[in-house]
Amino acid sequence: MNNKAEAVEAETTQAEMQLSERAANRSYAAQVLREAFTQWGARFGLFWIALLAAVAVFAPFLANSHPLLVSEGSVVSSPMLRYMTIGDFVMLSVFITVVILLFINIRFYKKALILFVMGTLTAIIAFMLVSPPQLTVYDQYRAKQAAGDYEWVIHAPVPYSPKDYIRDEGDTGLEKPLGSESRTHWFGTEENGSDVLSRMIHASRIALGIGFVATGIAMLIGIIIGGLMGFFSGIVDMVGMRLVEIFEAVPTLFLLLTFVAFFDRSLYAMMVIIGITSWPGYARFVRAEFLRLRQQEFVQAATACGLPLRSILFRHMLPNGIAPILVAASFGVASAILAEATLSFLGLGLVDDPSWGQMLNQAVQSSTFNWWMAFFPGGAIFLTVFAYNLMGEALRDAIDPNLKKSAS
Amino acid sequence: MLLQVENLKTHLRAGNSIVKAVDGVSFSIDKGEIFCLVGESGSGKSITALSVIQLIPKDICNHPDGRIAFRCGALDGSGERAVLDMLTLSEEEKRQVCGARIAMIFQEPMTSLNPVFTIGDQIIEVLQIHWPEMSDAEAHKRAIAALKQVQIPDPEVRVDEYPHRLSGGQRQRVMIAMAVACEPDLLIADEPTTALDVTVQAEILRLMKELQKRKGMSILFITHDFGVVAKMADRVAVMRQGKIVESGTLEQVLHQPQHDYTKQLLAALPENLKRQRDLKLIETPSRKESVVHEMNEPPLIELQQLEVYFPIKKGLFRRTVDHVKAVDGIDLKIPEGQLLALVGESGCGKTTLGRAILRLIDSTAGSISFNRQVITHLNRKEMIPLRRGMQIIFQDPMSSLNPRMTIVSTLIEPMAVHGIGASKEERIEIARKILQRVQLEGEHLWRYPHEFSGGQRQRIGLARALVLNPKFIVCDEVTSALDVSVQAEVLQLLLELRAEKNLTLLFITHDISVVEYISDEMAVMHKGKIVERGPTDDICRNPQKKYTQDLLAAVPRLIL
Amino acid sequence: MIPTLLGITIVVFAVMASAPGGISSQSLVEGQNLEPQAKKALEDYYNRLYGLDSPAPVQYLRWLNNVSPIGFTFDENREINGFSFFKGSDLGDSFRYGRPVMELIKERVPITLLLNVISIPLIYVIAIAIGVRAATHRGQSFDVGSSVVMLGLWSVPTMLTGVMLIGFFSSDQYWHWFPTSGLSQREALDMAFLPYWSSFVDVLWLFLYSAVGAMLMVGLSRLESLPWRCGAMGALGLVMGILMADALPGESGVVAYLLLGAALALLFTLIAYTDYLALRLVVMGSIGVATGTVLFFMFQSEGFVRGFFLDRSWHLILPVLCLTYGGFAFLTKLTRTAVLENLLADYARTARAKGVSEKDVLWRHVFRNSLLPLITVSATLLPGLLGGSVIVESIFSIDGMGKLAIEAVKARDRELVLSITLISGVLTLVGYLIADLCYALADPRVSYD
Repeated sequence: MNNKAEAVEAETTQAEMQLSERAANRSYAAQVLREAFTQWGARFGLFWIALLAAVAVFAPFLANSHPLLVSEGSVVSSPMLRYMTIGDFVMLSVFITVVILLFINIRFYKKALILFVMGTLTAIIAFMLVSPPQLTVYDQYRAKQAAGDYEWVIHAPVPYSPKDYIRDEGDTGLEKPLGSESRTHWFGTEENGSDVLSRMIHASRIALGIGFVATGIAMLIGIIIGGLMGFFSGIVDMVGMRLVEIFEAVPTLFLLLTFVAFFDRSLYAMMVIIGITSWPGYARFVRAEFLRLRQQEFVQAATACGLPLRSILFRHMLPNGIAPILVAASFGVASAILAEATLSFLGLGLVDDPSWGQMLNQAVQSSTFNWWMAFFPGGAIFLTVFAYNLMGEALRDAIDPNLKKSAS
Repeated sequence: MLLQVENLKTHLRAGNSIVKAVDGVSFSIDKGEIFCLVGESGSGKSITALSVIQLIPKDICNHPDGRIAFRCGALDGSGERAVLDMLTLSEEEKRQVCGARIAMIFQEPMTSLNPVFTIGDQIIEVLQIHWPEMSDAEAHKRAIAALKQVQIPDPEVRVDEYPHRLSGGQRQRVMIAMAVACEPDLLIADEPTTALDVTVQAEILRLMKELQKRKGMSILFITHDFGVVAKMADRVAVMRQGKIVESGTLEQVLHQPQHDYTKQLLAALPENLKRQRDLKLIETPSRKESVVHEMNEPPLIELQQLEVYFPIKKGLFRRTVDHVKAVDGIDLKIPEGQLLALVGESGCGKTTLGRAILRLIDSTAGSISFNRQVITHLNRKEMIPLRRGMQIIFQDPMSSLNPRMTIVSTLIEPMAVHGIGASKEERIEIARKILQRVQLEGEHLWRYPHEFSGGQRQRIGLARALVLNPKFIVCDEVTSALDVSVQAEVLQLLLELRAEKNLTLLFITHDISVVEYISDEMAVMHKGKIVERGPTDDICRNPQKKYTQDLLAAVPRLIL
Repeated sequence: MIPTLLGITIVVFAVMASAPGGISSQSLVEGQNLEPQAKKALEDYYNRLYGLDSPAPVQYLRWLNNVSPIGFTFDENREINGFSFFKGSDLGDSFRYGRPVMELIKERVPITLLLNVISIPLIYVIAIAIGVRAATHRGQSFDVGSSVVMLGLWSVPTMLTGVMLIGFFSSDQYWHWFPTSGLSQREALDMAFLPYWSSFVDVLWLFLYSAVGAMLMVGLSRLESLPWRCGAMGALGLVMGILMADALPGESGVVAYLLLGAALALLFTLIAYTDYLALRLVVMGSIGVATGTVLFFMFQSEGFVRGFFLDRSWHLILPVLCLTYGGFAFLTKLTRTAVLENLLADYARTARAKGVSEKDVLWRHVFRNSLLPLITVSATLLPGLLGGSVIVESIFSIDGMGKLAIEAVKARDRELVLSITLISGVLTLVGYLIADLCYALADPRVSYD
């Protein structure tokens, strides 16, 4: 720390005292979050991610070939609801619970518990009650509507499902935005003729899911290994660091490619694979953080008070190390989303599910350049990654006492 | 009159608020005089110095009022005397003044030199900036001469050394050599010895005084230490909250202080506290008796040949090539109820010893026994019940409390572990009482550490140690980060508590005057070994070992 | 270093071996339309050739023995017949290509290295130019603007940039300015290294055109008056945008003219607007040179042979662009932080107290100290670039190591995957070593004794 800053700080204690009176009874975490999210960048990031999350959750309502409501022979039914999967229901219930919990003031762990219970409960109920038909024929609605079988029908805003391949439209199925007269495709169609916007809406689930779960897995491994290294040092540290070095010496993408090529390419495998190839960064980070914290006097004091190891690790060390780890996680989600997009782009991603990266790949796959396949999915990847990076940046600035002091 | 500061105001921008760091300060310095600016932290003394040499970045400060008249040779080199107003100089003129007419040395010698240049290069740089026509060979010769002047051994060799190879004291000498290389009229020294050990401080002060005499320059000396003031100053000014409250000659200020604040500061000095205590002690001569009484009982803490080595690992395979012998074979007995002061300079291993006794650091060899029980080989779990009896208070009030926990959680968690108090409410009640005992209020329980000042945090640290009702507390430099007046309060509190609860204390410090005030017994530590031990008064009056004699001689005393 | 390399290959081998249907003769034969007997015979042949029937650890050890220069030697019946200290290392044969892996790698690695060797200095130059400026002008518009732009650039996926660049600047649909794929045109391989003109006068004309262009633009960039500078550049941008729209194949609508004109005008005005003189000089100077050169070739292009060097550069521009922007975006932020921290350091204040001018404080004192974190990061830059070249090579169809890696994992080519992992590990570790050496050179506090 530099002297001048110190001097300035000493001189400003008075002002700080006033500030701290206002901030009285507010925990450090709340302060950091307040500070981070007063910046416009972080606000934009948060807004975009929230929007994306909402889109992901309500995807079946936003983009679906199944009409939301239809009246056929004066019987009102909802084909959309009939085709909703267990996953759709769980997501909805979790999302609603989160929104409600945001406005309730209870302890964090209680919130987590309620969330978990709600999720499992919905899953069980949905498992018992919901059984979407195996076979879907999207054309039936269009045929029936053309035949005038419906008295009235309410379509989703984007009336196409992501896998509603309309192959009978020309040769390639690739069509410019609003290029067809008979249908409205705001973002055009992809090579099999399905709607790009609809695929993008549904792909946001994959992007967000992979971002969160893969980073979660990576962080879990990283925190365990890094924490062990930092706390026990000695031989554990040496072996762990070698392991970290091994994983860092190969470009992550090579490792990912190998994993993906040799294992199955389902969504869950992808999450696990991206997770286990990106843990070394977190491990190194957590280790350094633990080494630093272990020297802190309040940790020494906790030991001197005879507190059990569990309390020292989880009450004294982890909460103080979590803020920088969260920053790393925010950047980590961005890079996990990028990793998935890259793999899909290289043709090693998910086989059948829509993904932004895979659509991007189609932009130059055929002999022509289809700009809408690059612009929209690519733009979505960019905005999401940018949003996470902005939030990470703002959080980092907020927790860095050095920067705070020097930034006037 | 060399420098005349009139009604100087410096306002700093910090975030959205403006801090009046210097608020109407006037003083003057004559040629060949040492002027001391004394004050506690945050009094604006450093900002005043930086304003004089105009080193505060323009974007964070402004001077709404004031004049800094500096009388020196005209900048055009005509040899005439001219008066410059430092506040209105252009960048170019300022550069000609800085380093040549006014030079400055700083508090942190470890970071004040550029690590990637040799010390010779850094001295040559200042010479060639102000005398552009000087040849490289000549500058090199001058650099060596400058190093010789500040008594660096082997200046011809050392001139090509990088700063990291030098000790803190030597780096400060290099800083001084650099500052006086261009023969400035005024040297500003901003706490130049605060980061140094007492013995090194004494040498640096002697050197500065000698150079000042020989070159006839003036020094603006910034410090918080009245001992240093007494040693250095011709004239003194006391600062508080951006204003000078009192100024005058050394004699006047130290012996006939007029202002209440000055009186208060002087009274808070450990030397003066001791004098007051000594006067009281004549009435209650119980100390000698208690010492005799203690000798018959088995000691509370006993160390036998305790060693703590840290391995130095090097090379490809991280092999242990050598050890740092932080604690190197120490035998020590602390009888119950004693307050033993452990004195030593930085790096002598005193902190390591303190932590090793509490088993916060594993010892390499030897044994520790606490309350007649050998605790050296107990593991973590087995130590837990014993920890109730032994506690520690730390130096840094900033980092010694968990920033994420309210004071109440910090205080009741150890109680719960050790089964003190039957219910949470009862523990909170105990915590409240102890907090009130350390002169804080009960409502402070619900606050977070960042809402307290340094002294308050140190009291909370004391409270945390006390909730377990320990027999033995290690106080690791508890007052060295505090201002004098706060230090006096904390020390008094500590003494009261000790008497009240019959605590045994190991008081680790580098400050001899604190030792003289607080302790009955003292031990002097040097290079991992205990050099001398005995009753404080005896050692201070009549030190036996060479090292102790040097140490005591180096302490700047207030008594003239 | 060697344990790390061993660890890398073990990890990769374990992944391959533990995968369901990982490496087996069946997976190699699969897909070929063969009689069951022929299939069996082929499987047996592969098993014998590559030892695919032995348990995984044996396969790995055998591979290791082949790779290491010291080890056991075998006779024809795959029996150990001796131990040799200099048997030479053999990376084996590729399953897919049926060629020695060594040969393949020798072909591909230089191409990837070429891309990286061009990228790294570019990344550093740009990062330092912008980062230092941002730090010294902290909180001003340049700092804020460059921070946002850099964070944005850092977030743009390489695929998107690659696809957009290739789509707009190499395809026939828009501007066919750059080649679509590869690193050189077939005919360029036979050309001389340097460009060639039929007459010397043409060379002079070329120089004249570009010199005039450069001088005009440099003069413009040094103009003090902001409105004039911005106005002139804006007008130039407008003209260029309209020319670009005109160059589009087919009928281009009014929208294209307006859009391109406005976009380029805005971009050029922004360049002219910045008060960073050096940046303005360089960018506007290059615009001048480029415009002059393009004008020259519009008027006379007879008797000009491109030559191998120009052809290669022409092919490299877009891939290198894709590979660098992420790197310099990241490094710029790092440079800014490092310089900022050092500008506030105690020794910088000492230098100011000595009367050192602010410029010297920055470049003599602060800059050298700020380089240290940049050197540390250079070690991690290389793996990132190697990873990035996988994407870039596959977009631009460059036959480098990255493309080879994708082909290898797609074909489940055991020898190739292991060797590529090994090579990239070696390259990364060499990068670490170089970074360490540079660090020791730059920082006297580090010593290797």
